[in-house]
Amino acid sequence: MSGVNYYDLRHVTGQVTHIDIDNGVVESAGTSFFNKAVLRVLDRTGWGVIQIDNYTPCTGRKFENLIGAAQKLAGITEEIVELGDVPHGILPIPPMKEDPRSISIEEKSSLLAGIEEAARHPLVTNRRANYIERIEQVRFEDSSANVYSYEMCRSGFNVLAVASRNGNVQMGYEREHTIHGFDLRHRQESGKKAAEIAVALLDAGAVKGGKMHAVLDPELAGVFAHEAVGHASEGDLIQEGSSVLKGKTGEKIGNEILTIVDNPALCEFGFDPVDAEGTAVLRTEIINRGVVNAFLHNRESLAAVGNGIAGHARAMPGEPPLVRMSNTFIENGDATEAEIFAECRNGIFLKGSRGGQVDPGRGIFQFNAEYGYLVENGECTKMIRDVSLSGDILSALHNITLCGNDRKMSPGYCGKGGQSVPVSDGAPHVLLLNAVVGGSGLD
Amino acid sequence: MTGRLTFFFSMRWWVAVAWIEDLIREGQKSVDEIEVFYVEGTSVSADLKQKKVNLATTSRDCGLGIRIIHKGRIGSSSTNDPDKWRDCLKAAIASGKLATPQTWNGLPEPVSILSSSLSFDPALECDPDIARDLLRQMLEGASEHPADITAGSASLSVSSVTLANSYGIRYEDHHTGVSLSLEAIERQSTGSEFDYKSYIGDVNPRHVGQQAAFFASKSTDGKEIPTGDYPVVLSPLAYAELLGNVFIPALNGRSVHSGRSRLAQSLGQTIADPRIQMYDDPLLPRASGSTGWDAEGTPARRIDFIWDGVLQTFAYDLKTAYRYDKKTTGSAVRGGFGGLPAIGHHNFIVDGKRDNILDERVLYVHNVVGAHTANPMSGDYSVEISNAFWMEDGGFEEPVRSAMMSGNVFDLHKDIAGLSKETRAIGSLILPSIKINKQRIIGK
Repeated sequence: MSGVNYYDLRHVTGQVTHIDIDNGVVESAGTSFFNKAVLRVLDRTGWGVIQIDNYTPCTGRKFENLIGAAQKLAGITEEIVELGDVPHGILPIPPMKEDPRSISIEEKSSLLAGIEEAARHPLVTNRRANYIERIEQVRFEDSSANVYSYEMCRSGFNVLAVASRNGNVQMGYEREHTIHGFDLRHRQESGKKAAEIAVALLDAGAVKGGKMHAVLDPELAGVFAHEAVGHASEGDLIQEGSSVLKGKTGEKIGNEILTIVDNPALCEFGFDPVDAEGTAVLRTEIINRGVVNAFLHNRESLAAVGNGIAGHARAMPGEPPLVRMSNTFIENGDATEAEIFAECRNGIFLKGSRGGQVDPGRGIFQFNAEYGYLVENGECTKMIRDVSLSGDILSALHNITLCGNDRKMSPGYCGKGGQSVPVSDGAPHVLLLNAVVGGSGLD
Repeated sequence: MTGRLTFFFSMRWWVAVAWIEDLIREGQKSVDEIEVFYVEGTSVSADLKQKKVNLATTSRDCGLGIRIIHKGRIGSSSTNDPDKWRDCLKAAIASGKLATPQTWNGLPEPVSILSSSLSFDPALECDPDIARDLLRQMLEGASEHPADITAGSASLSVSSVTLANSYGIRYEDHHTGVSLSLEAIERQSTGSEFDYKSYIGDVNPRHVGQQAAFFASKSTDGKEIPTGDYPVVLSPLAYAELLGNVFIPALNGRSVHSGRSRLAQSLGQTIADPRIQMYDDPLLPRASGSTGWDAEGTPARRIDFIWDGVLQTFAYDLKTAYRYDKKTTGSAVRGGFGGLPAIGHHNFIVDGKRDNILDERVLYVHNVVGAHTANPMSGDYSVEISNAFWMEDGGFEEPVRSAMMSGNVFDLHKDIAGLSKETRAIGSLILPSIKINKQRIIGK
């Protein structure tokens, strides 16, 4: 391999099974297949990358030709990329309680129909349930003779209920996705809950925008951690200079009750047995007691930036790896839910999330709650519609003043650089003082 | 290098035709109708880390989607390994057995379609040196304003699309694309710009660079804004975020008939300011979404969704049209599960009487953060604004540091008080800036 300092190849094959039921009609159901690889080469300067659909593993001259093509491509790069030294190794894949492949698609379809049916209600105009099951066989090899292969199965469902009355249209949306095996049994409750929320929202009010105290449920507080801290701690953004956390290692940017972690080794939806560069995955305490502690890195950003832990490179099949979060969470504190509501006294309680977005260079983030309640004298009262909040990375973490002890993780997908990867976010209930709420209500 | 790629590309194409014929013959033995959608493409890109090229990529993509219809049951599967078309066909047939049967009156028959390759630039070459040169031009443009470059990308792509069905349709089209983006920062103020065109001569890399650096440098030292209702101008970019995430999905016929659209009962009603026209024009030369036929072979044509503010029609594909006794509007695009066609648009255009909408003091919102979290059913949104300025006589005066903007996307369309003279393509949306007289802003 003349002149090539490094190469790695990540080949992913697999299949996706889906079922889509819309108002009792099986719209589509079936299985599709994929086969994608990405070869990366480091020569004298930067990366030469070849993305290959329908890859057939090859050796000898054929492989040398691929390396040569990537090397030639790398010839237009200017930046000298160095890779940090990292531990290698792979974790065992947690066993599945029930392998979805052992269940017929007819049975899956019938169970999903039960969940969809459970969303039936006189005011519900649309019920829709989707099942998705994705099985990936991953093989990684690099020029240092590290070779890893594993198979992962992620499966789950979404159920949507749309309620409508006099032109007012509202929705309830529930989802469960897991790495622990088939999970469609005894889940009708999710359909029922989606319908109840959609119907209840028809009578909910719009919150008046402005600053107020907010209690965030574990799902929403998890999204807060993801948007407020997670992205800004990604080593590639630090390296580019597009994160306000650059140069902040050791600085206190939040309340000392606050510890925020990203842990790809945790057996949640964002689990990775080994990262997309063959690096062993490790728990990374981004914020430790309010202090900037460690950035999330791949090998390149570890070498360029330091102050953090590699093992956070992730990629969609056939795409070059980027620094990504996996399972991101706020650690438990010691407050009870009652104490949090009592301390909030007057404000809002917000639940669920359709996600959020952040501009890490500017330090501004936005995150959305699916619904909530007014909090008056420490009690939840009137239901309020979905609303979004915004915050400032360098000040928001000071405003988390209480953390509960009931941390729960929620699965989702996170997008960056055109790639979407499975993640989970979580937290206990937390109290966020002086939250900026974007409601359009008048009073 | 590029010449070799092109040659390789056309070789693959002729091999492809042979197996597509075999596939259709094989499928016809067991199902009523069969449709094959095959995409093949190549692309090259170069990415910046700050001001240096850090990464260069080439990709070769292929995708095969098979749809079968048998006694009203629709099945599908997809693979990116066309050698495995037999497995894919089997999976598509098995998939059809699970689907609920529906009224089905047949896939289209071939017609002569004159306007092919509306978005294909024969001069565009997937050459890494061209990508690097585009980056250089962006950097030159960016140097006109004081800001640091954090990241950027330039990519070039060529693709070919084949649609074939058991009624004899054999359509082929070619597309090209050039995509540019640049991100800049000045202290704690960010700016970014992008461009996407089908023709290489239509992108302006210098301008992309200038704009990214301009917004980063011009947005520094922003002032706070008190909560209140303000006259606001949404740039095409900010408007595209709200329109694309909420309003356009509500025009989808399937959403309408299955109870997932707030516009379901509004046909024939005024749902936008009377100056507003909204239409899909798939035959616009050089536009990125242009095509002579939709993803299931229906000849593409202009669809007027909103005329003088009045809702005229929804968008349909064959499946939804057959089910609800409507006519397809030629709105099928590929993008559903397992390579199934779904309802979408080609070039979605908002038009109407144009005015000078910057003649009085307005809050100009260049971009928004978090529009994907808007409620697609109710239309409620609350987003963070970015690169917002107080503007007077068209000049960027005072930047606004940070604020939220909230409202309802459907109601907003009734309050549109003006469309700018300038138009911009944001992906497949072609939009003016819009003026709203009273827009709620939540200060911090």
